[in-house]
Amino acid sequence: MILVSAPTKRHLPLLLGYNKSKASVRGGKKKVEVQLTSMIDMFTILIVFLLESFSADGQIVTLSDALTLPKSRTQTPVNLRLEIQVTNRVIVVDGDPVVAVDADLLSTGNAIPAVVTRLRDHMEYGRRLRGTINEEDTEINIQGDVAVPAILLQRVMASCSEAGYATQSLEVIKLEGGGTGNG
Amino acid sequence: MAKAASGRSRRVHHTENLDLLPVMNLFCCIIPFLLLSASFLQVTIIQMSQTEGIGAAGSGAVANLARSEEDRLQPKVILTDEEMFIGTVAGTAHVCYSFTQSVDGVETLTYDFDSLRTKAEEVYRLLTDAYPMIDFHKVTILTVEETRYDNIVAAIDACAEAGFDQPGLQVAPTASVERATEAAMSR
Repeated sequence: MILVSAPTKRHLPLLLGYNKSKASVRGGKKKVEVQLTSMIDMFTILIVFLLESFSADGQIVTLSDALTLPKSRTQTPVNLRLEIQVTNRVIVVDGDPVVAVDADLLSTGNAIPAVVTRLRDHMEYGRRLRGTINEEDTEINIQGDVAVPAILLQRVMASCSEAGYATQSLEVIKLEGGGTGNG
Repeated sequence: MAKAASGRSRRVHHTENLDLLPVMNLFCCIIPFLLLSASFLQVTIIQMSQTEGIGAAGSGAVANLARSEEDRLQPKVILTDEEMFIGTVAGTAHVCYSFTQSVDGVETLTYDFDSLRTKAEEVYRLLTDAYPMIDFHKVTILTVEETRYDNIVAAIDACAEAGFDQPGLQVAPTASVERATEAAMSR
């Protein structure tokens, strides 16, 4: 059997308003002010941090979730160019998966025909669109996953060269401070 | 200031409270804007140079000669599965042995890139002392097929800090890299 006891005397004063100080009773309805100083301090710190990482240019490259870029101390800013994404599973040109990576692909070191064709098509499209090809059109950015083997990277670079993209850049995450780029 | 005879001050001291609400409102507007335009990961690029031949950008015969001389003298960083070397036309030097480290629970092969930077600085100093007319920038990273991309980038980084900021990449089968290294070491 469960016995439910009546509220103890200890709880009553809170309910009935006992133990209120005389000053508070006299004051009546006083405006309660929230102490904002500590919150302002916190916001100031937050704003300083956000201003530090503020970028007027915004993020002009889209990083795929499927790959992790290596870290480097290089300072050269990235430009908006044609992008190739290289992972251990697939090679993606301008957002379209072109070649699946398998053991055969990693066995030789020459250009990859499917990638060359896709890149040539892209360059031809640009030439028809603008009527000419300038130096910027021959630049390409390569986003490679950290775990990609050198042979695959070399095949992609060879494909770019064969398709006419003479200037190849490797996209990396800029390393702040004195950390090591490895890992 | 005069005090009352009782010793108690009759002046009531008011502490002025600053109205911080407008500041709060301003902060509440600024913070979402800054959060949206902040970039926490900054992407940069490493521009790769062509590893073979003389570039077409050379101006005049002297520039071309200096360029070809630079191409001939440019150091090579050789990454094999066991070791890392740095070599020039004068010879090849051992830099470090490879070792495994755990990255996100996966055992991966890596190298001591601080040693590479020290050696590359040494090579850069030797080359610039011996050939003061040539401005050295080029370096070739020669690796075996299985070398991970992050190791290549770390090697490029170490060389760039030493002054060789125009990297090129050459990949060769393991056997041929080891043969070439052995031949260079026996010189």
